[in-house]
Amino acid sequence: MAPGEMDAQRALELLHMTVFSQSVSPCGKYLAAGNNYGEIAIFSLSAALSSEAKEESKKPVVSFRAHDGPVYAMVSTDRQLLSSGNGEVRAWNWSDIVKKGCKEAWSRRPPYRSSLEVPEINSLQLNPKDNSLLLAGGDCAVHAMDLESGAFTHEFRGHSDYVHCLALRDQSQECLSGSEDGTVRMWDLRTGAQVQLIEVHKYEECSRPQHGKWIRCLATDCDWMVCGGGPALSLWHLRSVTPTTVFPLPHCQQHVMFYQDLILSAGHSPAINHLQISGEIRAQIPCTPRSVHSLCVNERSPEHKLHLPAIVRARPFSARLTDSYEMLVVPQVGNYRLGSRHPGASLR
Amino acid sequence: MSSDSSKKRKPKVIRTDGAPQENKRSRADPDQDVKYYSEEAEVELRDPNKDYELYKQTCQELQRLMAEIQDLKSKGSKDSAVAIEERRIQSCMHFMTLKKLNRLAHIRLKKGRDQTHEAKQKVDAYHLQLQNLLYEVMHLQKEITKCLEFKSKHEEIDLVSVDEFYKEAPPEISKPDITLNEPHQQTLARLDWELEQRKRLAEKYKECLANKEKILKEIEVKKEYLSSLQPRLNSIMQASLPVQEYLFMPFDQAHKQYETARHLPPPLYVLFVQANAYGQACDKKLAVAIEGSVEEAKALYKPPEDSQDDESDSDAEEEQTTKRRRPTLGVQLDDKRKEMLKRHPLSVTIDLKCKDDSVLHLIFYYLMNLNVMTVKTKVTTATEMTTPISAGDLLSPGSLLNCLYPGDHGKRTPNPANQFQFDKVGILTLSDYVTDLGHPYVWVQKLGGLHFPKDQPQPTVTADNSLSASHMEMTMKLLKTRLQSRLALHKQFASLEHGIVPVSSECQHLFPSKVVSRLVKWAALPYEDYLELSYTKDVVEAGLAEDTHLYYTALVERGTAKLQAAVVLNPGYSSMPPIFNLCLNWKGEKTNSNDDNIRAMESEVNVCYKELCGPKPGYQLLTNQLQRLCVVLDVYLETESHDTSVEGPKEFPQEKMCLRLVRGPNRMKPFKYNHPQGFFSHR
Repeated sequence: MAPGEMDAQRALELLHMTVFSQSVSPCGKYLAAGNNYGEIAIFSLSAALSSEAKEESKKPVVSFRAHDGPVYAMVSTDRQLLSSGNGEVRAWNWSDIVKKGCKEAWSRRPPYRSSLEVPEINSLQLNPKDNSLLLAGGDCAVHAMDLESGAFTHEFRGHSDYVHCLALRDQSQECLSGSEDGTVRMWDLRTGAQVQLIEVHKYEECSRPQHGKWIRCLATDCDWMVCGGGPALSLWHLRSVTPTTVFPLPHCQQHVMFYQDLILSAGHSPAINHLQISGEIRAQIPCTPRSVHSLCVNERSPEHKLHLPAIVRARPFSARLTDSYEMLVVPQVGNYRLGSRHPGASLR
Repeated sequence: MSSDSSKKRKPKVIRTDGAPQENKRSRADPDQDVKYYSEEAEVELRDPNKDYELYKQTCQELQRLMAEIQDLKSKGSKDSAVAIEERRIQSCMHFMTLKKLNRLAHIRLKKGRDQTHEAKQKVDAYHLQLQNLLYEVMHLQKEITKCLEFKSKHEEIDLVSVDEFYKEAPPEISKPDITLNEPHQQTLARLDWELEQRKRLAEKYKECLANKEKILKEIEVKKEYLSSLQPRLNSIMQASLPVQEYLFMPFDQAHKQYETARHLPPPLYVLFVQANAYGQACDKKLAVAIEGSVEEAKALYKPPEDSQDDESDSDAEEEQTTKRRRPTLGVQLDDKRKEMLKRHPLSVTIDLKCKDDSVLHLIFYYLMNLNVMTVKTKVTTATEMTTPISAGDLLSPGSLLNCLYPGDHGKRTPNPANQFQFDKVGILTLSDYVTDLGHPYVWVQKLGGLHFPKDQPQPTVTADNSLSASHMEMTMKLLKTRLQSRLALHKQFASLEHGIVPVSSECQHLFPSKVVSRLVKWAALPYEDYLELSYTKDVVEAGLAEDTHLYYTALVERGTAKLQAAVVLNPGYSSMPPIFNLCLNWKGEKTNSNDDNIRAMESEVNVCYKELCGPKPGYQLLTNQLQRLCVVLDVYLETESHDTSVEGPKEFPQEKMCLRLVRGPNRMKPFKYNHPQGFFSHR
């Protein structure tokens, strides 16, 4: 193939690239981003966010092909980066990645029942208490995997459609899952039993039939849960199973998280919402991507506290350093680029 | 007082002496002569010094006597008179002596004078003799130098060196025994040898002349024979022409072409030769010809240096005239521009024939003063084609060969030197003249062997055969591909305009048999309008939409849903895929910025175009992309989740077989068609 054609094809690929997932390295200096072509790119946060960051330092340090399909979810353990795409979860040693030698450490495939289509894995959740990994996706089930042995210990079935998202209640060894079928289910990790079932779309205050009933994002904090997707983003009290607050956001939300006393969310709009428990929108921080798939707070690096939204769109991804910096991660010819913006800079 | 008295007396004495002497002489000369001679002889005998002593004695005696006389006179005594008398006699005696002495002195003086005179005469004679001798010496010296300066003619003759002489000359000439020691003899011998040699050469020369004469005569005879052959050959050629034509062997024509090719400027000549060579080696259907007036070209090339002088002269003149005649400045500039953009009267045409008998005519021109080549194109198709309105630019000479190589727009001159020439006559860019002159694509320069490096300016760019050869094959292939892809597009456009997506039988397997969405409209779109569309921003920002590209708009409809597509057609189609941007009007306006599935549909045609290329070389890509667009629109509409709050049946019942309706975090619809089974899955 002529080099011109290669460039043209790459340019088109970049144009249609979507970053689905991201994860910060244990040291907090690196960010891994996975896109719809199955590639994982590693950015150096310290270089990209330093005051003398150049255009070059905003490009990936290294990128490699991780999956055949899109990389839907990523999570980092103390040593490894776990990524999931179509059917499989794969592990990469951070120590190798940093040295740019990207060799797969291991890969596991949950026991699937159907063989017609390989189900995707949409969400990964680490359970540090018993060193296990929860994964859920296209086969409508949540699987628990022991990271020590690699064995799949539990399977939580009950959803009638594929699972979008997972959340963990640390105190009570319980796990929440949100699904395309419009339900949020709570599972007991020890017994594997379904503890609770919330059909969010059936609550009139949350229901948005024009968008569908699917639950795309989910987050918990003690007795509280926030979930959104087709139905409006809403805050729930788990013990009483009632929606206490419905946030006035017109767009579908794709990621939500508790952060300090705020709720951060983002979705089909080019902005990151800072919400208060009371339901007020404290701030809407514009960002360049027109749809945000993932937010992430880098808690491991004290000097770079930021949420990193991963996105969809030609100019992918922007991130906000708690109220002061925006970080851009833009795929450029052949690669991604990281950048920082000062608070006063004009934002689209 | 005594002196006074003596003086008084002296003349007396002389008189008395003299008178009688004279008398005596006159009377008796012989006596006198004897006397005279006796006194002269006496002089000889007497010693002058003694005479001098005598003279002094006499003078003293006289003085004493005078003093005594004076004493006596002063005493005044009477007796003294005797004494005085005595003394007077004595003094007279002394006077006599004095007189004698005086005579002697006179004689001596005369004698001395005579002697001196005699000596002087002798000296004079000797001096004269000396002068004569000196003169003679000088003359002889002159003669000697004349002799020494004499140059013999033989010195001018270039002789063979001594060593060579002894080696080559026969011993009877060289005579080594004599000549070795005597340079004179040696020289003579060498001269003899030279003469001998010259004689021989002269003989040889005569022989050669004779020979030459003979050969000339022979040539004459042969020439006559050959010239008598020419008419016969001509008649044979004439007779063979129909046979040549019949056998498709245009030797004669080729010969004529080569004749005219001699008058081509170097770049066109390189192109002509290389294209011919390529045609003979690789592409028998390639037709290369030369057009234009040979006469004009000849006239142009006769005084090549003069013309250049003229140019500079006229430049200078023009400068002057511009100063003089300001009002006609514009006209003059116009003339100058025309002169600058003048092309060579000859042009090379290349006809590229494709398999389907369509022909790409390329006419190459050479702009003499700019040293660049341009090309004009024309396409003739095998079958008469109805021209679709939207295909206007497809085969137009302006855009047909656009970006044959990436970035080669053919609008600006590739010769950096031209800019300065333009500045002089006020041409802003060449692009204003391109339709008239033809396009100066970079590949055209390369075919003509002209290379204008960007980084290092070269003083003179000359046509280079190897450069042309290295680009010929690639360029010809590209040209053919371009023509075929354009013709294929042309055909496709013709059906697209009528709402038919002409999927070929080889590509049927790419699509389900039932496609409900229909192409309604296909039309060209001006570049400016494309830029203004809201949903094309990403493509424009990614630099994938340039003004040299072609732009179209397509409308796909199904029921109430209208899918608008803006298409960028890269000139490099089909190796460069067309890029689609979509905008769906159904339940609101949906574009890639607010609907992930629209974005997925775009990537389905833009990114996954490889599977849509169809049979090689993939000219069906555009058709297949449009067909896929119809298919994915079907999928999009049929799989759209039903809003349960709205009463009534779905507008688009699901007819497609899908494994799952949505998948993944972005809730993607199953756009991928799996051929034999006929179901849709996720990519």
